Amino acid sequence: MKPCPEEIIDYMHDYLDGDLNREKEETLKHHLQECSECQHHFHELKKAIAFVQSTSHISASADFTDKVMAGLPKEKKKIGVQR
Amino acid sequence: MEALVNKRIKQVLKGDQNAFAELVELYKDKVFQICFRMLGNRHEAEDIAQEAFIRAYVNIETFNQKRKFSTWLFRIATNLCIDRIRKKKPDYFLDAEVAGTEGLTMYSQVAADVQLPEDEVENMELQETIQKEISKLPEKYRSVIVLKYIEELPLQEISEILDLPLGTVKTRVHRGREALRKQLRSL
Repeated sequence: MKPCPEEIIDYMHDYLDGDLNREKEETLKHHLQECSECQHHFHELKKAIAFVQSTSHISASADFTDKVMAGLPKEKKKIGVQR
Repeated sequence: MEALVNKRIKQVLKGDQNAFAELVELYKDKVFQICFRMLGNRHEAEDIAQEAFIRAYVNIETFNQKRKFSTWLFRIATNLCIDRIRKKKPDYFLDAEVAGTEGLTMYSQVAADVQLPEDEVENMELQETIQKEISKLPEKYRSVIVLKYIEELPLQEISEILDLPLGTVKTRVHRGREALRKQLRSL
């Protein structure tokens, strides 16, 4: 079996970023149809993204804004907290 | 949205501190979310997220109103997170073993505090596993992955937030995805 073209993995990533042109997309598709190893790799990439996206969105605590406001320096300009 | 944000910023610049509260309300969840996914710890994330808003307030004069406020704010937050990660001692990590409790990690202690129906427990465990794997990413990959896949920001905006060329952001997204692929393949 001939080795996979080096750029195939790059094509996968460009595809995932919506950056792959038509021609290269065809090349990628053809290769994936023939190569189960790359197909597996591509599947794992998509699975990893799906897992990260499945993390639930969490919210800041109810008193978050009050705490921030309480933490603001009283005087703006030079007299206040200088960092 | 941007019009309202700019109006509030002008009020803050004139010395109206209360106008800032509205900006905090608008962005607190997103900023907290970034910090939590970067740091993997709620308490730390709250501290850093609050600090980010305070810094934004103190430095509001330096914000260029022609730009997007959220980009500037997220930049302050990610920079604070990155500083924190760099200063952090490895024994702060949640998966460190708790002394004297063989095999028991902080994770299992945290999880044991709350009773949940079984499927939610499973989901919580999965969520924790995923967060743990995100936390294992080197910080330069972690920031791009969090901004792209959790905040769902376009690569161009990520490049502005992190002050990195677009090409560098893409390379880091690619490498971050490869790292996650290896870490999460067995799930």
